[in-house]
Amino acid sequence: MHSIWAVATNTIKQALRMKIAVVFIILLIVLLPVMGLTTTGDGTLKGRLQTFVSYGLSLTSFLLCLLTIIVSIYSLTSDIDQRQIYTVLTKPIRRYQLLLGKLLGVILLDVALVIGFSAIIYAITIYTPKFSSASEAQRAQADNELFTARIDLTPVEIDITQEVLDTYKKLQASGQLEEMFRGMSRKEIIAQLTNQRKLQRQAAAVGRDLLWEFHNVRPTDPNGSIFIKFKYDVSGISASTVPVYGRWLIGDWQYIRYGIASETGIYDRILPHSIRTFHEIEVSAAVVPKDGHLAVGFLNVPVNKTVVIFSEEPKVLYKADTFTANFIRAALLILLRLIFLSCLGILAAAFLSFPVAVLLSLVIFFTASFSNFFIESFDFLGEDLSNIYRYTIKPVILLMPQFDKFNPTKFLVSGQILSWFLLAKVGIWLVCIKAGLLLLLGLLIFSFREIAKIII
Amino acid sequence: MEYAVETFSLTKIFSDWWGRDRVRAVDELNLKVRYNEVFGLLGPNGSGKTTALKMLLGLLYPTKGRAVVLGGNGADPKINARIGFLPEESYLYRYLNARETLDFYGRLFRLPAKVRKMRIEALLDMVGLKAVANRPVGTFSKGMARRIGLAQALINDPDLLILDEPTTGLDPIGTRQIKDLVLELAKRGKTVLLCSHLLADVEDVCDRIAILYGGKIRTAGKVEELLQQTHKTQITTDAISDAAVERIKQIIQEEQAQCDISSPMDKLETFFIKTVSSAEHEALPTSGAVSTTHISSFLAPDVSAKDILDKLVSAPVSPEKAPTPSTTEKVAPVETSETKPDEELLSELSEPTKPAQTRPSVKNEEIKTKPVESQEQPSSRAQAEGAPKNILDQLTKDENTAREQTAESEAGDSGDA
Repeated sequence: MHSIWAVATNTIKQALRMKIAVVFIILLIVLLPVMGLTTTGDGTLKGRLQTFVSYGLSLTSFLLCLLTIIVSIYSLTSDIDQRQIYTVLTKPIRRYQLLLGKLLGVILLDVALVIGFSAIIYAITIYTPKFSSASEAQRAQADNELFTARIDLTPVEIDITQEVLDTYKKLQASGQLEEMFRGMSRKEIIAQLTNQRKLQRQAAAVGRDLLWEFHNVRPTDPNGSIFIKFKYDVSGISASTVPVYGRWLIGDWQYIRYGIASETGIYDRILPHSIRTFHEIEVSAAVVPKDGHLAVGFLNVPVNKTVVIFSEEPKVLYKADTFTANFIRAALLILLRLIFLSCLGILAAAFLSFPVAVLLSLVIFFTASFSNFFIESFDFLGEDLSNIYRYTIKPVILLMPQFDKFNPTKFLVSGQILSWFLLAKVGIWLVCIKAGLLLLLGLLIFSFREIAKIII
Repeated sequence: MEYAVETFSLTKIFSDWWGRDRVRAVDELNLKVRYNEVFGLLGPNGSGKTTALKMLLGLLYPTKGRAVVLGGNGADPKINARIGFLPEESYLYRYLNARETLDFYGRLFRLPAKVRKMRIEALLDMVGLKAVANRPVGTFSKGMARRIGLAQALINDPDLLILDEPTTGLDPIGTRQIKDLVLELAKRGKTVLLCSHLLADVEDVCDRIAILYGGKIRTAGKVEELLQQTHKTQITTDAISDAAVERIKQIIQEEQAQCDISSPMDKLETFFIKTVSSAEHEALPTSGAVSTTHISSFLAPDVSAKDILDKLVSAPVSPEKAPTPSTTEKVAPVETSETKPDEELLSELSEPTKPAQTRPSVKNEEIKTKPVESQEQPSSRAQAEGAPKNILDQLTKDENTAREQTAESEAGDSGDA
């Protein structure tokens, strides 16, 4: 441990004194406050803060990722290139200890930088409202929708597979299938039919209603609020400024669905909302029944004279934790990402030269940042190719981390809770398993490779 | 275990990308280095010296054969803990300063902080870099980097010292110091494996040598045996009258032998050292390395810290390795505890600087004749400055004053001799 620590401190000194880290640090120290002052977002206080948190944290995460890749690779390859490793490895230190020391150094540096920069972002975010001239309503909105950590619940999913299959069979029997979906495979037709059916379930004709069912709605504060978040559109062309009215019924599922008397009250109001933007209806948490079985109903009132289509299913949100706690977990999520990248860098440096190792790591980093795009683009391959894909590229992509799937800014901007559970899950998968495997491979390669170059 | 380093048919073949053999860097090398000897590995560039050393230390893997170092594997940390290694160039972390560099290596040896600190100061003092200890080593000249390289090789008080071209880039004083250090360490029972193509270095310090060519040992043996010209006799005396010379010539002719009589030339090395040391005694400013005062006492536990100039002057001038003169003062019994020498050193360092020994006992080394003590008194000025009496005094007494003046006025111009 003593020698690992010696190597670790040396690595930190190297990163700082060779001015690799300094460039990134100065860049961030300058950019973050500037961003804090200049961002406006959509003009509201919430929008401004959202933009700042989103860009600030993304920028920090991105730059620290690059820094981690470069430092972890440079630290080892420069030792090999400039041959300091001759004097180091002939001391009583095992090769794995050298690598672990380098890794520890990079991780400690990352910890310090993540703490430092997230503290800056946090401070700017928290103090901006105090110096802002925003109205009370805007402050309340920021408090409700940003300075919070809310659980969001999606409605119970209704299985429509059978319905879709029935439709498919019906169409096939009537011979309309070929006519409607020319040249498409069965899989594609099913996918399309499923989408159609889903949209149908989210559209309400005039005078018709839609009902969503939520389980386990358990707000921590019964005197607080729950929020219904939704976005809808209308069929046909309509100006987005014209409000669309809806009657909202929110309360005990047993009452709204079956009319069974309930102890808790029912929220029942007709509200106008503009189309094509997200809205939140604040409802007292008192409407939530004890069993947490909540119903959200929407009635397309006749005054609209048009079909109302929900772009996606509404969500129920309620506060479960503080913004600060959520912010800390978001910073930890970034740190997990950095730990993975430092292991990746160490592995690449164990057998590649600096430029090649950096290139490899960057490719993996960007692939991981857009993993969703890659996975989806491969999903639409032809049947024959998709089989090849399933057994070759797909496992590789699945082995890669999916940074975009667990993007910390996504949680913070929407005030959505990033639970310890999710963090632990990412920690186990990303760090303990994926990064652990990479590190192990790096240690093995480095332990058996010849260190000295050919000098006769 | 008889040998400190032993290799069995050690072979290294470098192959190209396709796996075809390209270069036989080391070929069936059977090297045997005994404990407590200074062994020189010689050879022209590209003869496989460095490759062999790297295989000993596990930086390269042998294609065939194996190497045993201190009874084990040279890549084993337990063995490494007893080895000091100076690679062909001092590969140092440019961004660390001299003190941090030594601290880093000391920590790799898990030396306790107290011991580490004492050894670092002692080593910095020894290699003469104390004044620049807080400068990044990236700004050091090659010779200064070499000194730090040497210091890092000694920080663990190694049993086996492996030096690859130790004197490259060093000034003559540094070179002389390394040679003295090697001799001193050998006296302390350490084993030194030295690899060089600077023959003078090897000749002065090595007990045994091996000459490598094409990865194979061509010759190996004791330096004295290999170099001694058994059919010749050399006589060195103080300056004597022409009449005496004639008489000796006569005697030699009676023996029916040829003879060649001249005043022996001083070694340029000795002359250079004298010039620089007198400049140092005048405390002229320098941004470079300072010639040192003593071999770190933790490396030589049973002698007190000695004036290096004393050693320099008394070092053998003849090519043959002579025993170090008896200026060694026994001040303390051999210590058994490991940290004791360091503590002793600390107290020594904390004392006000000891004045240089003003009157070192100068010995005139020779091969066949007995040493003759010089009758000449050192000049009063040299005495006042504490400068050591130099060998030139005895050999060229008439020119003494004139030469000393030249040396001072043209300090640094070694072409003068």
